Amino acid sequence: MTALMEVAGVRRDFSLSRGLFARARTLHAVDGIDLTLEKGEVLGIVGESGCGKSTLARMLLGLLPPSAGRITLDGVDLAALGRRKLAARVQPVFQDPYGSLNPRKRIASIVALPLAVHDMGDAAYRRKRAIDMLERVGLPARFADSYPGQLSGGQRQRVAIARALVMRPEIVVCDEPTSALDVSVQSQILNLLMDLRQEFGLTYVFISHNLAVVEHIATRVAVMYLGRVVELAATAEIFASARHPYSQALLASVLTPEPGKGVPDNGLGLAFPDPLDPPPGCGFNPRCLYARPVCKATAPAAVADGAARVACHAYAPLYRKEFE
Amino acid sequence: MTALLQVEGLTVDIAVPAGTLHAVRDVSFSVEKGKTLCLVGESGCGKSMTALAMMGLLPKAARRNARRLEFAGIDLAGAGRKVVNDLRGAHMSMIFQEPMTALNPSYTIGNQMMEVYRRHKGATAAEARERAVFLLGKVGIASAGDRLGQYPHQLSGGLRQRVMIAMALMCGPALIVADEPTTALDVTIQAQILLLLKDLQREFGMALVLITHDLGVVARIADRVAVMYAGAVVEHAPTVELFAAPQHPYTRALMECIPVPGRTLPGERLGSIPGNIPALIGTVTGCAFRDRCALADASCAAEPPRHLAGDHGWACVRGAV
Repeated sequence: MTALMEVAGVRRDFSLSRGLFARARTLHAVDGIDLTLEKGEVLGIVGESGCGKSTLARMLLGLLPPSAGRITLDGVDLAALGRRKLAARVQPVFQDPYGSLNPRKRIASIVALPLAVHDMGDAAYRRKRAIDMLERVGLPARFADSYPGQLSGGQRQRVAIARALVMRPEIVVCDEPTSALDVSVQSQILNLLMDLRQEFGLTYVFISHNLAVVEHIATRVAVMYLGRVVELAATAEIFASARHPYSQALLASVLTPEPGKGVPDNGLGLAFPDPLDPPPGCGFNPRCLYARPVCKATAPAAVADGAARVACHAYAPLYRKEFE
Repeated sequence: MTALLQVEGLTVDIAVPAGTLHAVRDVSFSVEKGKTLCLVGESGCGKSMTALAMMGLLPKAARRNARRLEFAGIDLAGAGRKVVNDLRGAHMSMIFQEPMTALNPSYTIGNQMMEVYRRHKGATAAEARERAVFLLGKVGIASAGDRLGQYPHQLSGGLRQRVMIAMALMCGPALIVADEPTTALDVTIQAQILLLLKDLQREFGMALVLITHDLGVVARIADRVAVMYAGAVVEHAPTVELFAAPQHPYTRALMECIPVPGRTLPGERLGSIPGNIPALIGTVTGCAFRDRCALADASCAAEPPRHLAGDHGWACVRGAV
């Protein structure tokens, strides 16, 4: 496998004003992430709301510059690559197919817009390519002159996918692409995404809070907590035996459709911590069943465990004894 | 055991410019004390309208009809506004999906929680406050006394939803109707809230009508399930039975749409249901699912017969599979 995109030591801070005279506070939305995106993989990113997964997605798309660290595509820094060149290779599909399509434009012109931005061909050529792509994602040509308001949620998400793919990008960043859809429509969109990946050799970053969907579609999974990746492993591995206590609790919360099993107790007790006031040491320590004094003192670095990586002191050679 | 809530032949019609929208069509179910019924279905299937109809909270344009709508022996359909107002909040209460719109942004949560209790129980402010603090503690909110003075926007989504639940419990209702209570929440919080509802149900013997589109939630929490499609209940059964032997083609198709570890392989194609739900404006005849059903034939244009095998019922021309 070759690394397509590399994320090295990336941070993103937001300064939040608390009124005219109060000192602004800093939110570390993404707090030091290292990741590689391999060509052809589906990297699932999971975590609770506020863990920084959407901020990471926006940085991968070049919509938001990192405060520190760098993101490279084939070794070239995204900042140096420029928005247009980046957009030809990395495209988004967002959660809300109601908010992400211009309600005043016809479907064909929405899908053709990226081609126009990149000065490709004349209007007739662009319209043809847009319609071809719409048909490929399962929207017959008769929808070409409809407005988004005339389509259902699933159809709109197909339009968003067609727009993302019309430039034939290499990477598609999907941020909760099926969360707003009904189950029967969700499965259609997932099937479509899997088919398109085969056909166009796409690489996906797939962000979702629906873990069953991530297990189904992802090849690797990164679990995020308070702006950091706490565990990164192959999908089958992480769902069979998660290493990090947070991954374990997160997976224990999944309600699979198995009657009689009852509602699991994930042992998390407290709610997600205030990201503006993260706990010292390991961000997960106040909710962790296995926390030791060292967890309150220092933040764990990621350690390799086979092909996987886990950021927990229990796996660090230096501290492992304390957890026995 | 007599049912706490009995609904028979419930219909909700909404006047729209194009005619009459039949949002709920001849829906019947019952819930016993201490039990959980899940109404499951996709958007537009009429599950939320059914809930609002039970609570007497339908929008003005909607008209409710029922052969029977009985709560604890009281006829809700015939009861006057005063009777229903006295029941609602005290003996039957509702948890809405979106706590940000269901809570009043201009009152503190303490204010809103105490109002219910004082209105129905004639309690003093101090008593109501004590009750609110007790219940906020029950739903796992730390430093509850301080929270009472906060406004809804000062709380996170998970906390707001817990406040909604605590508020619904203020008067110790016999029935709670919860419309997608955990849909907007993270899975970790969802598990905690459902666990809490189950605990409270055990402790206070509440009946729960839970509306959801999530088959995982249904499997883990329901005693009985009613599957709704296009305003009608197409199948109802005890939960274990429904998941073991779903009969209606819609129920079976729905179950094939979701990835289930162990049953579906990663990356394999999931089942899907082609087409869209039919428009429910004007006269609806025959099986509403027939346009999307793989098994449909000419006989489906007639009203589907209702089968009943034990306490498992479904409406389809096909018999048991």
